[in-house]
Amino acid sequence: MAINVKVMERPVGEVSYVRATLKGMMLTLKHLVDPHRVTIQYPEEKWDLSPRWRGTHRMLTTEDGKAKCVACGLCPTVCPANCIKLVPGEDEEGNRYPLVFEIDEFRCIFCGYCQEVCPEEAIHLGRHYENAEFRRDRFVYDLERLTAQTHPVSELWDPAHPKGE
Amino acid sequence: MSEQKLVNLTIEGRQVAVPEGTMILEAAKQAGVLIPHYCYHPGLPVAGVCRMCLVEVEKMPKLAPSCATAVGEGQVVHVYSEKALEARKGVLELLLINHPLDCPICDQAGECELQDYTFQEGRADSRYREPKRFNPVEDFGGDVLYVTNRCILCTRCVRFMDDVHQDPVLCVSERGDRAMIAKAPDADLTQPWAANVIDLCPVGALVSKDFLNKARAWELDRTASVCTGCSQGCNSILETRDNVVVRQKPRSNEDVNKFYLCDAGRLDYRWMNRADRLEVPKIALAGALSPVDWEIAYAEAAKALAGKRAYVVASPKLSNEALFLLKRLITKTGGEGAFRCATGPEAPLPGVKDLALRADRAPNVQGAELLGFARRDADVLSGLKDGDVLVLADDVLEGVDAAASAVAKASAVIVVGTTLPLHLPKVAAALPIANVAEEEGTFTNLRGRVQRYLQAKAAPGLARPSWYALADLATAVGADSNACTLPSATFAELAASEPAFAGLSYDLIGLRGATVAGAGAGAA
Repeated sequence: MAINVKVMERPVGEVSYVRATLKGMMLTLKHLVDPHRVTIQYPEEKWDLSPRWRGTHRMLTTEDGKAKCVACGLCPTVCPANCIKLVPGEDEEGNRYPLVFEIDEFRCIFCGYCQEVCPEEAIHLGRHYENAEFRRDRFVYDLERLTAQTHPVSELWDPAHPKGE
Repeated sequence: MSEQKLVNLTIEGRQVAVPEGTMILEAAKQAGVLIPHYCYHPGLPVAGVCRMCLVEVEKMPKLAPSCATAVGEGQVVHVYSEKALEARKGVLELLLINHPLDCPICDQAGECELQDYTFQEGRADSRYREPKRFNPVEDFGGDVLYVTNRCILCTRCVRFMDDVHQDPVLCVSERGDRAMIAKAPDADLTQPWAANVIDLCPVGALVSKDFLNKARAWELDRTASVCTGCSQGCNSILETRDNVVVRQKPRSNEDVNKFYLCDAGRLDYRWMNRADRLEVPKIALAGALSPVDWEIAYAEAAKALAGKRAYVVASPKLSNEALFLLKRLITKTGGEGAFRCATGPEAPLPGVKDLALRADRAPNVQGAELLGFARRDADVLSGLKDGDVLVLADDVLEGVDAAASAVAKASAVIVVGTTLPLHLPKVAAALPIANVAEEEGTFTNLRGRVQRYLQAKAAPGLARPSWYALADLATAVGADSNACTLPSATFAELAASEPAFAGLSYDLIGLRGATVAGAGAGAA
């Protein structure tokens, strides 16, 4: 049954794939002779992170190794993802400290508000991205783990130098 | 009020008419303007020491402290004029000179008037560069901890102890920047109403040891309630966090407790969180109590009650609604109801008329009496006859040897309660109910004032509100209570059938309370 199939008459130069294939192969060839590298040799080489990179958290400690946190409750209050669990308590010297401080890194959206709001400069986001675990529950970081981590912490954006790193 | 002369004045462009002698601060409240203040408190004598409430009054040479300046005819008051704002900013800057700004670890943070007004009107930064004065924290005894550094010397606590509690043990000692609140030697703030200084303190200087470091003010859910500590029925606020009651504070009610709550009532909230609760309905199956569906438990209870006389022992901590439905059960089975009430020494607050920690340490003694329950403090089971069905509504046998012979006279025992007493023989059915923090209801205080309390947290397990469980139970034994679908509907049934409660409704009671018919004599 003849239906009205309209056959477009196009010039050969437009419909031929030969030219496009050759163009692609030329690009490949160019990369072969001029190897400018876009990959790095991870894990031997590591990425150079921006100072403002926001990765998994770290809790800074005082000189005697205790967490700087005073359990003021501002980070769970400001957290938009509601990923921080904090139960305040008192230590033997009568100081306020967190009985429970847990961050669910799965819920966290790495906005950095907790670091920004912290009056004691205790909780920080880290310049760190290697977070793989074998178990899901390992992504809830407790106080012990947060204080034990050693990676560098991220810097806050400085409104005085909005374009600065 | 009609014989009182009214004075017209303008506050922030708003016309108000207030009785002669009212202070500008109170008049401004009526105009909807809250003038910042620290030392002023409506329940205390005016001191005028904080200078925070300075306002500009036209034709007055200087700024006037609005807490101590009476209104005048035709006055024009500017609360937010440049001059007034500048003065209050200066006051705040001076108050903050020695204030430690330890808001992150201060319990008052979030409900602190110094924080609020500083955000509202204070400077963004401090010009004070010298070291701040430091004083150690002092334990004032009782529930009160005094954090000297945070104190702004408003003297509300001093005036409360002097004029309201009339036990002057606090004073301002030292002068100048060394001034602080001091306690009389050998005196502790263990007076029955002393912990009110914690609520009166506008900053975090006087904090509760019980609440210390437990929660932040902004995390708490607040629910209007009524204190269950005694028959005074002080209005209170239950503050909960994650379904746990963490503190009880007074809720002001001019007719009952003004602004106060006694220490015993304030600290008596832990039982509301108890974990060993009866959570599922149970019936006796093959000699042991087994969890069952609600409907089966009702049917089993009705079966035990069929043709028997119910002897109901009710707790005076139950709501009017629950007691009324128990009364229906009693009437239906031709039984009788009794209650007992723990007592203790009465502890009045001298500065307030008709306010005391009452001898009867339960909130609804009056309600139980109005609903025909007989008070039997000595032996609550004395009316129990052989073959009766004993209905225990909540923890009524505390301290009574449950295995004693009195209980054995009953043919069966039905427990309607938050807990299941141990070693209780012959239990046919046990129905779990919610406690006062988990349901809505009303109490009648000793002056016949019916007051509502609201639900603050969720009940555990399958527990139902007492009015719900008892309405279903009453229906199951044949006293049709199908109209009791809500606490308000249950109260409407109560008001319709009990002459004492006639004319009352939840709408009328509101959150301030309303008095039952025939009371009023002796009421405050």
